[in-house]
Amino acid sequence: MGLNVDKLKQMYYHMNLIRRFEEKVDEHSKKGDIPGFIHLSIGQEACQTGVMHVLTENDYKFPDHRSHGICLLSGSSKEKVMAEIFAKKTGLCEGKGGSMHIADVEVGNMGNNAIEGSITATSLGTAYASKYRDEDNVTAVFIGDGTCGRGELHESMNMAANLKVPLIYILVNNGYAISTRAEEAHSFPEHLSDRAAGYDMPSEVVDGNDVKKVYNAMERAVNRARNGEGPSMIELLTYRWQGHFSGDPASYRPGNEVEKWKEEKCPIKNLRSKLENKGVQAGTLDKLEEDALKEVEEMVEFALNSPEPDLEDATKYIYAEKYESMKEGE
Amino acid sequence: MRQLKFSQALNEALHQEMERDEDVFVLGQDVGKMGGDFGVTKGLWKKYGEKRVIDTPLSEAAMLGLSNGAAFTGLRPVVEIMFADFITECFDQIVNNSAKAHYMFAGQLTAPIVLRTANGGGFRAAYHHSQNPEAWLMNIPGITVVAPSTPYEAKGLLTASIRSENPIVFFEHKMLYSTSGEVPEENYELPLGKAKVKKEGTDVTVIASMKMCEYALKAAKELEKEEISLEVIDPRTLVPFDKETIFDSVAKTNRLVVAYEAPKTGGYGAEIAGLVNDEMFEFLKAPVKRVASLDSPVAFSPKLEDHILPGYEEVLNGIKEVIDY
Repeated sequence: MGLNVDKLKQMYYHMNLIRRFEEKVDEHSKKGDIPGFIHLSIGQEACQTGVMHVLTENDYKFPDHRSHGICLLSGSSKEKVMAEIFAKKTGLCEGKGGSMHIADVEVGNMGNNAIEGSITATSLGTAYASKYRDEDNVTAVFIGDGTCGRGELHESMNMAANLKVPLIYILVNNGYAISTRAEEAHSFPEHLSDRAAGYDMPSEVVDGNDVKKVYNAMERAVNRARNGEGPSMIELLTYRWQGHFSGDPASYRPGNEVEKWKEEKCPIKNLRSKLENKGVQAGTLDKLEEDALKEVEEMVEFALNSPEPDLEDATKYIYAEKYESMKEGE
Repeated sequence: MRQLKFSQALNEALHQEMERDEDVFVLGQDVGKMGGDFGVTKGLWKKYGEKRVIDTPLSEAAMLGLSNGAAFTGLRPVVEIMFADFITECFDQIVNNSAKAHYMFAGQLTAPIVLRTANGGGFRAAYHHSQNPEAWLMNIPGITVVAPSTPYEAKGLLTASIRSENPIVFFEHKMLYSTSGEVPEENYELPLGKAKVKKEGTDVTVIASMKMCEYALKAAKELEKEEISLEVIDPRTLVPFDKETIFDSVAKTNRLVVAYEAPKTGGYGAEIAGLVNDEMFEFLKAPVKRVASLDSPVAFSPKLEDHILPGYEEVLNGIKEVIDY
């Protein structure tokens, strides 16, 4: 599938949607409407949008914990994504998941996870299941630069390459694992994804703020996977504009680094100028931006007006099957 | 009836379940060509091929991850962790994914995996091949902990575990693998979460699982000579724990001994003592007695190992203490 103007406009809408979504989540987290830790992805919208436009609802997605955008673009009811983050009963996981644990299995979102690296092992299993059943769906697992320190990632890459399963590792390298830069804590020749070569796995490094480049790299990796050629890694170079979590002042970053990324490498501005160069009217793009904001505001309304879980939900879903001797509520 | 060894009974359960359900597959280190370190997966690779019997690298985290992910799609992996001590290498997957996927995603996912693993001392294998980590698993809501003591139960409980929708950690005490007993040829399930009264009695209840069950039954025979009647109960499933069977027994005998091979502190005997204290206090004529390992690593020297781990003598003495209280 090529990237025509209509598709790019849709991507533009989605990138705005993610940014507005994250801004609203940040606002309501700081107001106290949203409990728990919130990890925002402002500045990384092209990574999420480019990848998700290649995948379908039949593909398995394992978002990491900075992945509200993946959940939004999986095909889920978006207001239920928001309600989940607000810990409301109307959320995708009935308010039991929250920002860091959102799944919607119907659309292939197999759940994000708050243990970095954990899903690199789990994603082996859905990819193996596709191979087991001779199906052509693929598995995409999202990791950050910090996750490259986890042993599970290396166990996973080794087994994935050996078993030739249809698995794509999407390494979103946003420069920082909380406060630590990759080169301060890791050893690698030039790029973190160079490690893939050690597992005889193809990898490529692309500008993660250019949605077209992300899309194209992802498409190449998915095609390889669907053709039975095994796993790939794509490394998306990007930058998070805000701190590690909502409320982190991120004082560990030098001087005008953030401003520079905002000014020179904003993924949304980049796409906007490309679309304008292709002759799309500024008014059309403004309208997409307004619509995105409106849609997000409706999600917030829905979440704010939704009920919290009931107390009896506390012991619901501990076991998938109750045994003979188990009594209700135990 | 036909006799099988404990390991053969487990092997038969795997053969029959793989035959019955093509979603069942097996993975682990050396489970394929070699048939498993203790022979439990013998013949599966030859019969079902490498798609359904995977020889894995030394990657317990990836093995459990693969199992969880495959189970999320409806497959039924049986993963062998060669020694229970190695559970530490895949603990994240068990604690944070197997146990929680169903809960945190509001029932959308289930992880019907079976993690089979060999536990227990007696092989003079020391620190890293002898531990009894069942209590580590008992503190994780969502995990079912199964621990058979005979070949008959090994087959029936493994069959039930494979068919269960829940993630299960299935302990196989390595000193039981070569023990023999009657095992029906057809496939059958024994109920999970249900204890078994192995011998009825009136004076003292002894709860004993895996290898300790044998010692308890031997003690029961010995004490018959002194006209002391033991009721021996094998919990078979440590979590969920069959309170009803144990409480009925304690209501009758008023005395309770819990024998387990793990370190005493925080062991499953401590949990049972707590439960009985909470709900059965007025029935007790003596404090609940725990017979367990010293709070020590399992030492290498056979002399020290035998001193550290509880054996028949310790079980017998524990029972006598409760009688004499």
